[in-house]
Amino acid sequence: MAIGLTHFLVLATALFLIGMVGVLVRRNAIIMLMSIELMLSATNIAFAAFSRHWGDASGQVFVLMNFAVAAAEAAIGLGILVEIYRRRRTVNVDELKTLME
Amino acid sequence: MWDVILFYFCGSLMLLAGIMMVASRSAVAAACWLIFGFLNAAGIFALLAAPFVAILQVLVYAGAIMVLFLFVIMMLQGPILSAERRPVPGWTWPAVLLPVGVVGAAVAAWFVSAPGTGANAHLPPGFGSAQQVGLLLLNRYLLAFELISIVLLVAIIGALALGLVERRLPWR
Repeated sequence: MAIGLTHFLVLATALFLIGMVGVLVRRNAIIMLMSIELMLSATNIAFAAFSRHWGDASGQVFVLMNFAVAAAEAAIGLGILVEIYRRRRTVNVDELKTLME
Repeated sequence: MWDVILFYFCGSLMLLAGIMMVASRSAVAAACWLIFGFLNAAGIFALLAAPFVAILQVLVYAGAIMVLFLFVIMMLQGPILSAERRPVPGWTWPAVLLPVGVVGAAVAAWFVSAPGTGANAHLPPGFGSAQQVGLLLLNRYLLAFELISIVLLVAIIGALALGLVERRLPWR
């Protein structure tokens, strides 16, 4: 009944899959970026779960690294998004396929 | 016992928040669900004997990053937002009580799963404190810490360059 490593890993996997489905299914670029944030958060939970399991706080240090990566990703992603919107008046990724054609 | 209850409370609400975030039609609703999910993640971190990470989760993720998202949503989809309906009346009390409950659960998780007690009996006291994590960050992982600061610096410069008007960029 005790909550062990497996419980947290299952939760992290489920969150990662939800985020992945969000990236694949949604066509609004803002919500796709938020889904990526959810996937990063799932990896954070896995890091912290292993950190507790092995009794080593190094995992928590890497959660902090992941925070910085997530902040950089959000800043750059949203910057690109604003620029795309300024030129194309849309954030729907289905309409952004100039490189594909 | 309490850690089991708190794990299933925060975990199930976080899964719900993720699903609602992916499924919601409005970007603002998605952002609010994601903030709610990040509050639950703070509770999960508190259960994992990581109180410092839990606080930073609320400050950095639910605070700074999601505010950035909401700013961009307001900038890009302002006209769409103003056309949205008023909030559904039946959702007012859940919208107030659920976050309060989750923050309460996170604080409770902090006390329930302190290092050295209960499910975390194998951990030394002070595990996951700001002091321990900070010492690791500035001793064993000093190089990684410096490198991540370069990542952030590049992100700042990139965001500035993206935001500048084209003709004012020096290389164009």
